[in-house]
Amino acid sequence: MNGAGTPPGRGLERLSPWLRPREAQARPRGRTGLIETTLLLLTGLLLAVATVNDVVLSTHTNHRLVADLRTWRSYTGHDYKNLSAEQDQRHHTTVDVICGNTTPGPPKERIQLCLQMTGPVIHSRRAARGGWYLPPKAEDLRHSRYGCFGEAKSAGLCGPAAAGAEGSEGTVAETGH
Amino acid sequence: MILLCALVLVAATAEIVLDAAAGHSPLIPKSPVLAGWLQGIGERLGFRVFLIAVLAFSAGYAGLLWLARGISKRWAIALIAVLHAIVFAGPVLLSTDVFSYIAYARMGVEHGINPYLHGPIAISHDSVYHYVGQDWKHVATAYGPLYTLLSYPFGLLGVTGAIWGMKIVALLASAGTLVLTWRCARLREVNPVVAILAVGANPLYVIYALGGAHNDLIMLLAMMAAVSLTFAGRDAPAAATVVAGALVKATVAALLPFMILARRSRAQVLGAVAALGAGALIAYVAFGVDGINIVAALNRDAAFVSTDSFPNELAHLVGKPGVFPVDHDLLKGALVIIVLHLLWRTWRGYDWISAAGWTLLAISVTSTWLLAWYILWPLPLAVIARDRRLLVATLAVQALFIAHQMTPLFAPVS
Repeated sequence: MNGAGTPPGRGLERLSPWLRPREAQARPRGRTGLIETTLLLLTGLLLAVATVNDVVLSTHTNHRLVADLRTWRSYTGHDYKNLSAEQDQRHHTTVDVICGNTTPGPPKERIQLCLQMTGPVIHSRRAARGGWYLPPKAEDLRHSRYGCFGEAKSAGLCGPAAAGAEGSEGTVAETGH
Repeated sequence: MILLCALVLVAATAEIVLDAAAGHSPLIPKSPVLAGWLQGIGERLGFRVFLIAVLAFSAGYAGLLWLARGISKRWAIALIAVLHAIVFAGPVLLSTDVFSYIAYARMGVEHGINPYLHGPIAISHDSVYHYVGQDWKHVATAYGPLYTLLSYPFGLLGVTGAIWGMKIVALLASAGTLVLTWRCARLREVNPVVAILAVGANPLYVIYALGGAHNDLIMLLAMMAAVSLTFAGRDAPAAATVVAGALVKATVAALLPFMILARRSRAQVLGAVAALGAGALIAYVAFGVDGINIVAALNRDAAFVSTDSFPNELAHLVGKPGVFPVDHDLLKGALVIIVLHLLWRTWRGYDWISAAGWTLLAISVTSTWLLAWYILWPLPLAVIARDRRLLVATLAVQALFIAHQMTPLFAPVS
């Protein structure tokens, strides 16, 4: 009943022995089988290591993210659930940016305060070393940012077009703990 | 012990379904109320409960497979039937795909819009649009024209009616797949009870594929029908069935070269060509040239990257933030080498079922867009394969996939 074990169709008998299907094998034997099994085991090992590594990385990231969200809520005094978090994918640093509304409302429908979180997690919090504001409904793009403060200001992370608005909303140093 | 394992499977499934029916869970897609009679029994499904249930289900499944030789046919069928009934009675689980199926169907039958040219955004005023996943609102269908045509009648039933229709189709496709798996296992002198338990009580199969009413189950049905027909010596219908399956979801086409190499029957080639010709003609009449250009749709989807894909994990392992375009080319190259090797082995007499299964496994492992139900593709072949390494590898890959889901268990985000 095994398809591999059935005789070839009519006409194939004329082909050279190499071209004809061989007797069915349950699994490759000999050197080829050994090489295949070794490669399979190595591949399996590599995938297992990659999976464990990814779980550890994601766990660290989640741990950091929890601290970031807690820090944002602590600085602003707002216990909002719908905060947006962005990680530094380009440079692979642990600097995260957490944005949320400054007044109650649907996500991104009010002026948003974005905080740059850096450093290690200490007492379930991280340090907010700088940040900026975003107008309602704006994505966190450089040209939309205004009111940069802290390290974000010295690094020039706000767009030049919005420079006039700088400082109009105060700074987190004034409002934060 | 067997009873305990079976109870764990039933309890874990019931927990997920009952909690899912409570609604308001990030794990459950937004949906019309489907399982109102189950509301109020469970609590909102959170990541922690879901992941513990999946782990418990997986442990019970492993135990069942270990003890499967002592399980009677009646017990195995009863267990699988109970698991299927629980999932069928509940809401759609874990995926918005079924709403995309319905949206494409409604685009065609209700709005006269070609789903191969436009995404669901073209029917943003339709009631199903709000349920379509955010990432898929602008994406035209990548499913085969046969599936799209089969789904059209469901588009006339309204959203709730269409969901139930899709759930019934998934249930029947699963039942058909399991019947054919049983039949093929007996023909291959493999314990059929072990075979159907390995497929029908698999956590990814029950919770993800059946729970989401995925059309992969229809593809699996076509795949096992083709295998069964081949075993019966009906080469032309077998090849035609593979082509029909590929016109539902293209991946199953991977079977065809191995089947042809193993059998070397002219009838197979003729069957495949005839089915392809008929399918292409119907697709062209129904959808125009875009309906037969499946390659373009597959190339588009191949560029997607999911966080659970193994290439993405490997990229993280070597310190890269993710998969780069050059990695896609390397992965395609690796896949081509694997397939060529398997074709050569099949030519030399290696079991073609095993070779086709390895190919489907290789496709899912090298894909940058990996979803739980993709790792099910090789499973029905693995349980009847002569090469037992395939079943071990398939289950190992599934275990790694499940392990990768566990992050929220260690560090929940609130």
